[in-house]
Amino acid sequence: MAAFKPEGIFPALITPFKKGREVDEEALRRLVNWVIERGVHGVVPCGTTGEFVYMKEEERKRVVETVVDEVNGRVSVIAGTGASATNMAVRLTRHAEDAGADAVLVVTPYYLRPADKGAYQHFYEVAKSTDLPIILYNIPQCTGGFLAREVVEDLAELENVVALKDSSGHLPYTLELLDMVGDRISILCGHDEVVMPALAAGASGAILASANVIPDVWIEVYEAVKRGDLARARELQMRVQKLARIIVRHGGAVAVKAALNMMGLKVGKARRPLVSGGVLSWEVREEMRLELEKLGKLKAEEEAPESKKFLEELGLSPSELRCLSLEIGEASAGVGEEEVHVRAVVGPKDGPVGYAWAKAFSQLEPGHEALLALLEPNLMARPPTLIIPTVEIRNMRQASMVYGPVQAAVGRAVQDAVEVGWVPMEAMETHVALVEVTVKPEALDRRALYFNAYEATREALRRALRRG
Amino acid sequence: MAKKFWPKGVMPALVTPFDPKFEVDEEALRRLVDWVIERGVSAVVPCGTTGEFVNMRIEERRRVYDVVIDHVNGRVPVIAGTGDASTQVAVELTKYAEDAGADAALIVTPFYMGLTDKEVYEHYEKIASSVELPILMYNIPQVTGVWIPWWVAEGLGKEISNIVGIKDSSGSMPYMMTLIEKLYGVISIICGYDEIAMAALASGADGLILASANVIPDVWVEIYDAVKNRRDLDHARELHRKYQTLLRFIARFGGPLAVKRALWMMGLDVGYVRRPLMVGGAYPYEVEDEMRRRLEGYGLIPRMPVEFELEPGRVYRCDYPATSYTHPRIRDFTLRVGEAFTSPSMADVAHVDLMLGRKDGPVGKAFEDALKNPRPGHEPRVVELDGREVKPRTLLIPTVTIRTERHAKLVYGPAMAGVARAVVEAVEGGLIPRELVDELVMIAHVFVHPTACNPTRIMLNNYKAVNHALKKALEDRPTLGELMERKESARHPFRYEP
Repeated sequence: MAAFKPEGIFPALITPFKKGREVDEEALRRLVNWVIERGVHGVVPCGTTGEFVYMKEEERKRVVETVVDEVNGRVSVIAGTGASATNMAVRLTRHAEDAGADAVLVVTPYYLRPADKGAYQHFYEVAKSTDLPIILYNIPQCTGGFLAREVVEDLAELENVVALKDSSGHLPYTLELLDMVGDRISILCGHDEVVMPALAAGASGAILASANVIPDVWIEVYEAVKRGDLARARELQMRVQKLARIIVRHGGAVAVKAALNMMGLKVGKARRPLVSGGVLSWEVREEMRLELEKLGKLKAEEEAPESKKFLEELGLSPSELRCLSLEIGEASAGVGEEEVHVRAVVGPKDGPVGYAWAKAFSQLEPGHEALLALLEPNLMARPPTLIIPTVEIRNMRQASMVYGPVQAAVGRAVQDAVEVGWVPMEAMETHVALVEVTVKPEALDRRALYFNAYEATREALRRALRRG
Repeated sequence: MAKKFWPKGVMPALVTPFDPKFEVDEEALRRLVDWVIERGVSAVVPCGTTGEFVNMRIEERRRVYDVVIDHVNGRVPVIAGTGDASTQVAVELTKYAEDAGADAALIVTPFYMGLTDKEVYEHYEKIASSVELPILMYNIPQVTGVWIPWWVAEGLGKEISNIVGIKDSSGSMPYMMTLIEKLYGVISIICGYDEIAMAALASGADGLILASANVIPDVWVEIYDAVKNRRDLDHARELHRKYQTLLRFIARFGGPLAVKRALWMMGLDVGYVRRPLMVGGAYPYEVEDEMRRRLEGYGLIPRMPVEFELEPGRVYRCDYPATSYTHPRIRDFTLRVGEAFTSPSMADVAHVDLMLGRKDGPVGKAFEDALKNPRPGHEPRVVELDGREVKPRTLLIPTVTIRTERHAKLVYGPAMAGVARAVVEAVEGGLIPRELVDELVMIAHVFVHPTACNPTRIMLNNYKAVNHALKKALEDRPTLGELMERKESARHPFRYEP
């Protein structure tokens, strides 16, 4: 058999499931075409991202057959045939060979973890059972241990062991392999966060979860490295770094499926025990949406949410406040999407500000839920300060902009105002503050938002208290 | 080969009190020595891990040995912590402790650099041969990064006459069992991990060197006695289980800091910890709040008559579990606010914002108005326990908009049950005078995550959060001092991108 040398970008295909959680072959075929049209060099069904560990043996075989059929020779098919038990890995590998796959990807045995000797024997028996090229697969975060380099050295002597996929993300290990066996087998990167450095170091390609979602970007990275344009490769890697981080660290298959579903390629949900709001929290899922928007893979919502003013509605009219020598301080900070506008008022608890505060606290307006200013959980600002968002919060991504950075920034601004003496120390116990905050729905940059909310609140408080 | 000193019994790993300028507070140290000796400990161990030895200068450590030896004055043995990353420094300190009159030295494995067996063996061999003082080896891999493999311990214990014991703080029961298998009766085997101490004693360990023995020395003496002398394992187990939460907090959340804060709350001021340790870090705020609640439950927080002044001339008293945070007279019930967050799991986290005030003030008005104007998704409910409204009347308001039946069930079910329990216990436990329950009302924002799934923890976390938030509301916490000290290092978890 001609030596197979895996080179290029290979998506670790997710396995689409229908509502009843059976394999959705139609969606699988659509996904295969979608990634091939975008130029991938091959596809990898039934890998970790393909949830092989939640699939029955017959299902895995069927998925490999379907993918081989749909690919129909256009690119190579590397079938994931790993299993904890050697005999199952052998059966799946033989099946992949009969089905017409071009190579197999065999994961290190897991759960009852063998020592080096058992790991060697596992791969040896799989390799001996087939003529197909074998790709070893190191993914210690799932299997519980590294495939020892010494074992890889010995396995590299076997004729049909052609490559190793390293998903550890541990570059010293990748380079150790390139050093020790790089002349005999190919090394593939399997960790989306370190693709560019691995390729630059000599990896021949990458098998990636995120290559389901952004195959085009990875192909460009691969080609840029190949032609020696490291600056371009680095730039592209950085552009997708956060998306890669989310996919690797927040749920792999769940995240990839969520992304594809957002992009309109309906691939269903992951199998139990993976659930929505589990490894991929809803908050992080929304972050992923933002990243896809930035990459132009998704369009942002266009309808502008409603904006409301609250202080007057809570009974704080400027004239009444003036009678009490109080006023609403107003300030803005920042430009563009992260601009923040703040209106603040500080007053005694037993006056109109106190009544307004208690009312805002107890009648939460949907989309404009008032919340306490905190420096961090368990460290609320004093005098007690209630933040009211003026722009309707419609989704978790908007919420995460307000309830993290803005909440902390207002808390810090209040405390700094106390420290410099704008808020007298006695007021810590006798007064309360209401802060109305306007954050644009398209705000993206938490850091800028934090600093702008801080500046605007500080200035609004200074004006409200007529200081400096 | 008979060992000339056989450490046994309960031995507190003394904290080192520091004053507000972070200098060693000798007076407080002497008070602590008396406090533990009066409670029956068998020895004291200055300058161990809990003693923050690693953040002390060599001269300071020597001075602490001197002070402790002087103050103990022969009442119990003194086992000086003389370990160091450097063999040379450990030798010098051990010699000093010997000359100063210590009874033994506890020597931690070298730390920071990773070491092989040979380096660990020769470290101990070198120190032991430089002195005649009895020496205890000390395995605490979670801080040193270095284990004493059992075969190294076995060799040293059998070979070297003045190695008299080993303290194991790893918390690994299999390792402890191996030490007992190899070294029982050869050298003294000391458990240094609070959470498993009773099991270790029952399995053959000779004694305990514990951080928590600063806080509850008498409890440990009773457990030790029950296991070793009275053979009453049931009693030992029962006692251990009663204090298990406290032990977990001390063992897992900041050691010396947890011990110092516990003693401070109990009324024994042993000062500050040195930086970089700080409250809100490895020892989170919620652990401090919860440790206080637990210490109250053990009866270790002294009660104090606290006066609630509803208005001038109307003062009510209650027997309040007070710390130095507590004002002897609480005034102004117009509108008080407390906030509390309890984890550990994000999914079941409770975050309560609590407003407390007079019925005839802004809080009372807000209470009535909110009931008249329920907002969709944030419908208020008057908190009930077994179908009866709790007192003071308390309104629960869901923080997160309720969109599903399941979410609604968790908010108005277990979360509300937690709030109810906290309010009822607050009155029973002396946080609010009974005479005031009809004068005050409370409104609580209750946060239940839309992906929450664990009703038991939702109930418990909300119960704790309301208990903590109520105390903060009554005590005007965080105080200005706390805010100023903590604002720079504050890290809101949602400020950052994933």
